[in-house]
Amino acid sequence: MDYILNGIVEAFRLIFSFDPEIIQIVLLSLFVSFSSTLYGTLIGVPLGILLGINNFRGKKMVSRFLYTFMSFPPVIIGLFTALLLARSGPFGQFQLMYTATAMIIAQTILVTPVIMGIVFNHASTSGYEVVQTGRTLGAQGWNILILLVLELKGVIMIALVTGFGRAISEVGAVMIVGGNIRGFTRVMTTFIAMNNNMGQYSVSIAMGLILMTISFVTNSILYHFIIGDQNEYRD
Amino acid sequence: MNIETKNIIKTYNEKTVLNLNGDYRDLFFESGKIHGIIGPNGSGKTTLMKIMAGLILPTGGDVLYSGQPLDQDIRSKMTYSNHTPTLFSRSVYENIAYPLKIRKGEQAEIHQTVTQLLDEFEIDEIKNQSARHLSGGESQKTALARALSFSPKILFLDEPTANIDPKSIQIIETALKKRNREQGLTIIIITHNLSQAFRICNHLTFLDQGSCLFSDTPEKIMASTHPTIDEFISFNRF
Repeated sequence: MDYILNGIVEAFRLIFSFDPEIIQIVLLSLFVSFSSTLYGTLIGVPLGILLGINNFRGKKMVSRFLYTFMSFPPVIIGLFTALLLARSGPFGQFQLMYTATAMIIAQTILVTPVIMGIVFNHASTSGYEVVQTGRTLGAQGWNILILLVLELKGVIMIALVTGFGRAISEVGAVMIVGGNIRGFTRVMTTFIAMNNNMGQYSVSIAMGLILMTISFVTNSILYHFIIGDQNEYRD
Repeated sequence: MNIETKNIIKTYNEKTVLNLNGDYRDLFFESGKIHGIIGPNGSGKTTLMKIMAGLILPTGGDVLYSGQPLDQDIRSKMTYSNHTPTLFSRSVYENIAYPLKIRKGEQAEIHQTVTQLLDEFEIDEIKNQSARHLSGGESQKTALARALSFSPKILFLDEPTANIDPKSIQIIETALKKRNREQGLTIIIITHNLSQAFRICNHLTFLDQGSCLFSDTPEKIMASTHPTIDEFISFNRF
């Protein structure tokens, strides 16, 4: 038990010492995860809305594929991305393997189905009603799209935070394509995994606390936007 | 704007839900009148209304609006509201203002129209409340005020007064009759309330199992000897 308590004490000391390496790892993690969530949102939200509000042959099959990809293991995504980016792979000429860009690509592949699936699910149900109502009131084209995004903004926020949560907490994909290189591709999760293997629990706990804090902050923002929005017009 | 339906057929997954044939193969909904569509559950009333409102396509047949097929200009002059209206997640005021805002109306004009509607439907007190937290009657009145805000030429209403209080029903009926009388608004309304149909409609169409059994004035339906109509009227006697 002592090593856990000592670990926690040491963790706080590390956090408040503002160790440059720790700061660099946290910033890189946030950069990679925010970037992949941004790209995942740009791809997943429009596609999720488009597939959700339209009825077409094979929609059930699309939803099955989408839900399967939502729970795809990160290591498989990492492996898939590594095969594409490896020197002998189809995109080997770009020399992206073991770079932050490779990590962003892998995480984008990981989070896009998550964001798309959540938006698709809600657009299929309430989105269709919103589109129909908007049309009966005279909305067309951009007005419909704006209306839909505003009506689904709570869902989009949930999708975004869920996607970010998946990105920042995964270790398999970034380990494979990033390689956990100190000062270059080392992120919070790979740092924790590595130090845990080395028996250095205090730094693992410190990084774990930082990860939990980030998770708490992002969820608080989500709560503010969604619950706050619901109370917005109440007297 | 008159509406004519020509031999409308609608099938879902090979099941025919609407097939207008025989004496009532073609239906005529005269401009400036209040038309009621009545009939038992599953008779095809909502399907017919959604086809006329351009929300779903018929499997066969045509709908003509003063002799013209549906286009964007005609679509912009009509609107539809059902018994579970989809209100947007914004205030009651903003919901009613929405059709005017997308038509780029003047701010002062929008405010005047919305204020007038809030007053007419007696929902002024809830104007700043989120439309997602309203009672059934408040939702219906908000949806109807929103539908009327841009002065459409045709209004389709699917059971607009189902499960709401008598006061709200009276407010809604008064507003509909006023618009019909003063602006010549054509209203097509589905109702299960026969006494309401007799109170406000100039013309009734009776559907049963996807077919039309009657389409004429309310007075004439009382004289009908068709057993299904007779049974429906007996159960809804007022």
